[in-house]
Amino acid sequence: MLGYIVRRLFLMIPTLIGITFLVFMLLAMSPGGIGASLRVSGGQMESSKAALVEAYLEDRYGLDDPVLMQYLRWLGRISPIKTGERDQVKPTGELVRPPKALKSPPLADSWFRDFKLPEGRAAEIEATKGPAAAGTGVGREGETAEVIEYKAAAKNYAKARADYLVSKKNLDKALVRYAEKSGIEGAIKDGKPQMGVFAALPPDTEAPNWNLVRDAGLAVLEAYETAVACRAREIAAFRNGPYPKDGVPVLPGVLSLAMPDLGVAFSRGRPVKDLILDALPVTLLLNFVALPFIYLIAIPAGMLAARYRGSWFDMSSGAIFVAFWSIPTVWAGVLAIGYLADNQYLGWFPVAGLHGNTADEMGFLPSWGSDGFSMGWVGDVFWHIALPVTCLVYTGFAVLAKQTRAAMLDNFNQDYVRTAKAKGVPGRDVLLRHVFRNSLLPLITMFVTIFPAMLAGSVVVEKIFSIPGMGSLILEAINLRDRELILANTFMIAVVNLLALLLADILYAFADPRISYD
Amino acid sequence: MQNRFGFKDFVLLTVVLAVGLLVFLSMIQSDRGWDRLGDLQSKLDEVESRLASSGSGDLDDLRRELSELKTAIATRPININLGGVAAGGIEVSSDGGQAGGSDSGAATETGRDESWARAGVPVDWQEPWQFASEPSEVPGFRRGGEFTEVFGAQPARITPYLSTDVYGRRVIDRVVESLASYDPETLRLRGILADAWQFDPDGRWLRVHIDPKATFSDGVPVTSEDVRWTFMDFIKNPLIEAERSRATLDMIEDVKVIDEHSVEFVFNKSLFTNLDYSLGAYVLPKHFYSKFEPAQINQSTGLLLGSGPFRVENLDPDDQWSPGSDIVISRNERYWGEGSPPLASLRFKVITNSLAALVAYRNGEGDMLTPSSPQYAELRDDDAFAGDNAIYNWLNMRSGYSFIGWQCGPRGGPGGKLTPFHDERVRRGMTMSLDRDRMIRDIWEGIGVVATGPTSPTSPASSANVTPWPFDPEAADALFAEAGWVDANDDGVREYQLDDGVFPKGTDFEFEFTITASGETSERIVSYLKSQCLKNGIVCNPKLVDWSYYSEMLKSRNFDAMIMAWSASAPESDPRQIWHSSSILDQGDNFIQWGNQDADGFIDGGRNTLNFDERMAMWHGLHEVIHQGQPYTFLRVSPWIRFVKRDIGNVVTHKTGLEPQEFFRAAVPAPGN
Repeated sequence: MLGYIVRRLFLMIPTLIGITFLVFMLLAMSPGGIGASLRVSGGQMESSKAALVEAYLEDRYGLDDPVLMQYLRWLGRISPIKTGERDQVKPTGELVRPPKALKSPPLADSWFRDFKLPEGRAAEIEATKGPAAAGTGVGREGETAEVIEYKAAAKNYAKARADYLVSKKNLDKALVRYAEKSGIEGAIKDGKPQMGVFAALPPDTEAPNWNLVRDAGLAVLEAYETAVACRAREIAAFRNGPYPKDGVPVLPGVLSLAMPDLGVAFSRGRPVKDLILDALPVTLLLNFVALPFIYLIAIPAGMLAARYRGSWFDMSSGAIFVAFWSIPTVWAGVLAIGYLADNQYLGWFPVAGLHGNTADEMGFLPSWGSDGFSMGWVGDVFWHIALPVTCLVYTGFAVLAKQTRAAMLDNFNQDYVRTAKAKGVPGRDVLLRHVFRNSLLPLITMFVTIFPAMLAGSVVVEKIFSIPGMGSLILEAINLRDRELILANTFMIAVVNLLALLLADILYAFADPRISYD
Repeated sequence: MQNRFGFKDFVLLTVVLAVGLLVFLSMIQSDRGWDRLGDLQSKLDEVESRLASSGSGDLDDLRRELSELKTAIATRPININLGGVAAGGIEVSSDGGQAGGSDSGAATETGRDESWARAGVPVDWQEPWQFASEPSEVPGFRRGGEFTEVFGAQPARITPYLSTDVYGRRVIDRVVESLASYDPETLRLRGILADAWQFDPDGRWLRVHIDPKATFSDGVPVTSEDVRWTFMDFIKNPLIEAERSRATLDMIEDVKVIDEHSVEFVFNKSLFTNLDYSLGAYVLPKHFYSKFEPAQINQSTGLLLGSGPFRVENLDPDDQWSPGSDIVISRNERYWGEGSPPLASLRFKVITNSLAALVAYRNGEGDMLTPSSPQYAELRDDDAFAGDNAIYNWLNMRSGYSFIGWQCGPRGGPGGKLTPFHDERVRRGMTMSLDRDRMIRDIWEGIGVVATGPTSPTSPASSANVTPWPFDPEAADALFAEAGWVDANDDGVREYQLDDGVFPKGTDFEFEFTITASGETSERIVSYLKSQCLKNGIVCNPKLVDWSYYSEMLKSRNFDAMIMAWSASAPESDPRQIWHSSSILDQGDNFIQWGNQDADGFIDGGRNTLNFDERMAMWHGLHEVIHQGQPYTFLRVSPWIRFVKRDIGNVVTHKTGLEPQEFFRAAVPAPGN
């Protein structure tokens, strides 16, 4: 058994990689591509500024890298097995990594091959590698010299990197003007200069905008050299180990184990972990309230329907459950709001959200005070989730009840049941101990598929009742093409799904002694 | 036989579980009580320490204020006399510092201290910011109560400069102040934290004097160092993820502290927007935000402290507001300015489903709602509804406009095929063959007015001389014919009849119309446009796409015609991005590739004109050129629509929008409001 479980766990790894890779590629190939929302929300900004914002954001989230590269980087962060240098953890919990590599400057090998830094500039850059200049304003009380140096170096490099980006954008602008005057075919695509086309041509030093290009190009190279120097300084500061290292080493310097890092959702600028921790409890609450209702009603109803097959109860419960099942949740939700929540009609329930306006002032548990009954914080929450839970519950009866009924009926007709009855075993024991136990297999299969569905939340219900749960989160992530958020959610749901399937297989072995994995 | 799990066991187990659950819940309950006690304790400590440490300081303040009052009483006649002159000075000088010498002379005569200012450039003294509409004069006035606004979308965060959505900004605007803002009536810049400024006639520097009375809501005075820190160490800190503001404010070279209450901005280029952008940026308290590491600020959701009339009570970084719960901001009882808000607190409640939002509003869970267009159309004539609810519909400086953009250049950029719309006559013909009044009536439920140009009609940049092109199919027919599009073979579709080689002779007039697939409104637009084109012998092929496809399409200029809307956030915006021919090539928003020499002239001229009236003349010129060229068919200006409960008093529709700090909650419904 144990060997089987371990084997299954290891098989999950390629499956997970496959699932996330598929989702990631779908995302990358969808119109707008990864991070479409970032690009759209530029709005009415001046074009040079909008381009700059885009460049900043692309750089920060690595959106300008090849798609495969982005996926591999994500995989590296999510993997609990890390290679190379270990990350460090700031006291605030933020992970610190060695600085990202710089992209080599455009046209450096062709047009600006002979470029040299001006006299003295090289020395200036060299000087930035030295120990931190005091008074940069980054240090705080109680911080070690390593930390202060690291913070100064990191800020310095961020600045240099931003300057390098700005200078590259300026070169882009100059090249656009240059190409416009010189009329080079295919040099500008979607407003962006195609460096390959330029590099293949010799620079036209007579062209009217050549001076612009040359100055911009030289500025890029200078900014690049500065950034390289600043990066070297940050790496040195990082290697000094300003903060404690993350995870545990396996092979020092080569392999280590650490918690997976889900990254930062760029549509909201917050760590994915925080977003999920905000949304998950809400969805779980809804489902943990809804599930017992479904099971406690559907399974006994299915058993009774099978026991008294063909009776009025069998027929009516079947009809009612199927009728419920066929009512679309969207419609039911809207009707519930329109009639049950609207004060013009019944107004029994609140319309949206999880808490009333005064929830914070309430006691926790329901209580009878001097001013009558107060339902308390807990009561308030249950009152608020009554309608959404109803919407989640009513569609669930049919499938489960019908499954139970069918499985029970299968077993009722078996020989052992007849034998048991013939032996004089009481009817209740036949039903519960013989038939029901043997009907568990399909129910187990159904039961485990519930978990991933619970995580994903019910998109429709959450949308209608304005509940900030996982469903809303995932929907928004898809709409905004938020790479980190989609991948993290996919990953989580996939993991839970695979674990649930494994759990089902293990439960089979318990429910049916004939099944064995050894 | 083995022990069976019987009914009795089940009951027993249930009872045990229930008791366990109750014990657990009451543990949480007492824990919650403990937390609240802790909160109270820390608040008490804070008050105590403040009393202990700043008691003498407060006394000093009082003494100073008293002496100021004394001098004010002593010099009263002079002040009143010259008040008008000073006010005149403001009007002239918000024209961009183009005031004459006499004004500066007048200003010094008021006896105001101008030692902080540069010599030779007139100072714009600002009247203190007051209510645009005084609430206490409205019948039913009362202080106290909470006001709840229903938001249609979830703000991701309310940390200033990191929040990028409009809802977040609405909350921040109540809590954090900027140096100056737009006057709700005149839409001119008026000082809030700044009580005076001087702007270099060449637009290279701006010196600002901060009102010495100004304090943040925690009682710490606003100083020039806070301003400098906000710009140089917060926005320009590359580790803070405020890229948008950093790019917008990249013309600020440096911010220098002159003395405790004055700063100087140094700009690297001279543009009219320098004044608006630098004065309009939020001023943050250095002592609060510098406590945090950049990463803490980047990941924060509700770190919000400022000098405004409202404040966030909970500033604990470990327990800040986060999306999912209501945002509550309460009145800043130590507000330094004139006009402390009557409302005790504002609550912002997010309900994303529009039906649910309306029901919640009608149930009394909200006091203000932005209804959807169909909801507005359904309820605007409902007398029973109007009894309890005031219905507002007005244009303001934030009113955006929707338009159909025609591809004026080659489709897909240089080297692409021309569309019929490269000809100005065709574009004008298209505009004249669309009945925009009817479109507003039938498509947008009659909400809005026909747009004439790229600015809101309330904006001073909008020319009053421009009236929308009339709906005139015959004139349109003549224009199409003039451009060479005539239906010669009587198949119901116009063909190109000229031999100039722009299009092969006999080409059908056909175009692709791109629109986002977003429900009923898009369907109505498509069916109207299609039928109207058919009547005019034009084939319109609608293409419904996902919104995220739009940005790609716009960037590659790969469309014939498309519909979109621009929003606005200030009375005046820089038109270069959308209308200048230089924005065609370099990824600008001139995706229709409309290049016009006259327009370029007005844009370049306007951008470099610091004088307000002269600049407005330029913008009016631009408006007229755009109207003639019709690169867009301007459809409608979308007004703001709001439902507000009648027991909220003093709701005045300003040109800047709404000012909730003026609202009050009446004990009884305020008549006529």
